[in-house]
Amino acid sequence: MTPKDLALFVVRRLLLLATTLLGIVTIVFLMIKAIPGDEAQAAAGLTASPEQVEAVRRRLGLDDSVLQQYVGYLGRLLHGDLGNSIFTFRPVASDLSGLIPYTIELVVLAMLINVSVGVPAGMLAAARHRSRVDDSVRLLAIFCGALPTFWLAMIGQAVIGRQLGLTPISGVATIGLDVPRRTGFLTLDSLLAGNVVAFNDALAHLVLPAAVLSIPFMSFVIRVVRSSMITALEADHVTAARAKGASERTVLVRHGLRNAIAPVSTLLGLQIGWMMGGAVLVETVFNRPGFGSYLTQAVAHKDTFAVLGMVLVVGVIVTFVGLVVDLVQLVADPRVRLLEARRA
Amino acid sequence: MTTVAIAATASRPRRKRLPVLDVIAFGAVVVLLAMAVAGPWLAPHDPYQVRLDRALLSPSGDHLLGTDGLGRDVFSRILVGARSSIFAALLAVSGAALIGIVVAMVATIGPRWLDDVVMRLCDITLSLPVMVMALGVAVALGPSLHSAIVAMIVAWWPGFARLARAEMRTVLTAPYVEAATVLGASRARVMTRHVLPNSLDGVYVQATLEIGGATLIMAGLSFVGAGAQPPSAEWGAMVENGSRYLSSAWWISTFPGLMITLTALAFALAGDALRNRSHPDSTLG
Repeated sequence: MTPKDLALFVVRRLLLLATTLLGIVTIVFLMIKAIPGDEAQAAAGLTASPEQVEAVRRRLGLDDSVLQQYVGYLGRLLHGDLGNSIFTFRPVASDLSGLIPYTIELVVLAMLINVSVGVPAGMLAAARHRSRVDDSVRLLAIFCGALPTFWLAMIGQAVIGRQLGLTPISGVATIGLDVPRRTGFLTLDSLLAGNVVAFNDALAHLVLPAAVLSIPFMSFVIRVVRSSMITALEADHVTAARAKGASERTVLVRHGLRNAIAPVSTLLGLQIGWMMGGAVLVETVFNRPGFGSYLTQAVAHKDTFAVLGMVLVVGVIVTFVGLVVDLVQLVADPRVRLLEARRA
Repeated sequence: MTTVAIAATASRPRRKRLPVLDVIAFGAVVVLLAMAVAGPWLAPHDPYQVRLDRALLSPSGDHLLGTDGLGRDVFSRILVGARSSIFAALLAVSGAALIGIVVAMVATIGPRWLDDVVMRLCDITLSLPVMVMALGVAVALGPSLHSAIVAMIVAWWPGFARLARAEMRTVLTAPYVEAATVLGASRARVMTRHVLPNSLDGVYVQATLEIGGATLIMAGLSFVGAGAQPPSAEWGAMVENGSRYLSSAWWISTFPGLMITLTALAFALAGDALRNRSHPDSTLG
C-alpha cells in the first residue's frame, strides 16, 4: 500500500466519520425535540422563574422554525456548547471534561484485564477444541456474559471490599492523599508527583470496579478469539506448517492468533463504547466520579441537556475509536491492506 | 412446546456436547415464562403490601426469601416481578426484531440509495452504546418501564436489520428465487413468499440470544432509575432497593440478582443451542 493509498483511506474514513457525527447530532437533536412539555422549561430547570425560562427560550431560539433551531444547535455544538446542567448549574461540557479522566482510567484498566484474561482463555479453548477444557471455557464465557454488572459490583463490593477488606469499598482515593492535579488522571498525577503511596491507593480503588466491569466483556472476547482461531487453525496452510515441523506454539501464535487480530480488534473497539455504558452502572455502585455516575445523576434529576450531551460525547468517542481500530487493522493485517488498496 | 421437542430429538452423534445442558436451558426458559405468566397467582403474599412490623426478616418458612425494608415478601415480589422483567425484555427484542426485518425488506426491495441510507443509519445508531442511548431516550420520554422498552427498541433494531438484510441478500441469489422470478412472480410476491420466510432463521436465533442481554440491560436501566419505578417489583429495581441493606439484609438484593443471572443464562444457552442446531458448523460458541 503506497502512502497515497493510505492518505486516500484516511480521507475516506474521515468523510465517513463526518457523516456519522452529523447523524449522531441529528439523533440527539430529535431526542431533545421528542421531550414532552416545554423545552425551555426543561433546559432552565423545574425551579426556574418564568423570566429565566423566557431568557433560555430566547437564547436557544425556541420560537424559530425547527430548521433554524437545528442550525443554531449545530452552531452551538461547534463552539463546544452542550447546554447547561440544571443540577450543577454549569455548562455540561465543562462538567464532562473534568470527569472524563476518571472514566478513561476505569475503562483502560478494565480493557487490560479483559484482554489479558479473555485472549489467553480463548486461545486455550481453541488449542483444545472439542475437549473438556474447551467446553468449560465456553460455558464459563456464557456465564460471564449473563452476570448483571450492577449486581456483580454490589456483591463484589460487599464481599471483597467490606467482608474481606481486600480493596477499598468506594470512591477514587483515600481522603488526605492529595496530589497536584495536572492531567486529571489520578494514577498519572500521583506518578508525576512521585507519590507511590497515592499511586497504589488510586490503583487499589480502581482494581475491583475495573475487574467487575471487564467480566461481561470477557465473554465476547473469549468467544471471538476461540472461534476465529478454530477457523484459522483448520486452514490448509496450518496443516502445511505443522507438516513442516512447526511447533504447536508457533502454529497457535503465528497462524492462529494472527488471524484473530482483525475480528478481535473490531470487537475491542466496539467494547470501548459499550464499556462506557457499563461504567454507568459500575461508577454508580462504587460511588466513583465519572461519566457514568454523572449520567445517572442527570437521569435522576431529569437533567435533559446533561444526559443528551453525554450521549453525544460518547457517540463521538466511539466513532473516533472506530477510526483508530481501522488504522490498527490496516497496519496489522495484510489482507485489509490489500482490500483497501484495491478499493482505492 | 416445540422448543423442548427440538432439544429432545436433536442428540446427533457428531456433537460432543451433552444435550442435557440444552434440555436444562430450554426447561429453565419454559419455567421462567410460566413464572412470568402465573407469578401473581403463585405469590404467597401480597407483593406490594407494606408491613413495617415485618421489615428486614431473614429467610424463613413463612417468608422463603425474607422480607425487604418495607416488610414486603421478597419471594412474592420475585414471582410477580418476573412479568415485568421477562416480558419487557421479550417485548423489546421482538419489537426490535420486527422493525429490523421490515427495514431490511425495504432496504432490499427499494432502490440502491435507500439501502445506503438505511445502512448508514444502522451504523450511526450502533455507534451509540445501548445503555447510553437507552438512558437518553428514557430521560427524553420520562423514566418508566415503557420508555425503557421503547429505548431498547430504538437502540437495538439496527442489529436485526443488518442481520436480516444480509440473509435476504443471500437468499435473493438462490436458484428457487430466480425460478420464481422467471415464472413471472412479482417482486413483492418473491419477497414475501420466498425471500422473507427463508431468511428469518438467523433472526430467530439472534433474538433468542439477545433476550438474555435485553434482560440485563432492562434491569440495569431500572437499577439506575430510568426503567421501572417504585413500587414495581421489577428485578433490577429490587436489587437497587436492597442495595442500602446489603450488609444487614443481604437477601433483598441477592435473590433478584440471581434471578436476573438465571434468566440471562437460560436464554443465552437456549439461543446457543438453537444456533448449534441451525448452523452445526458454527464455531462461535
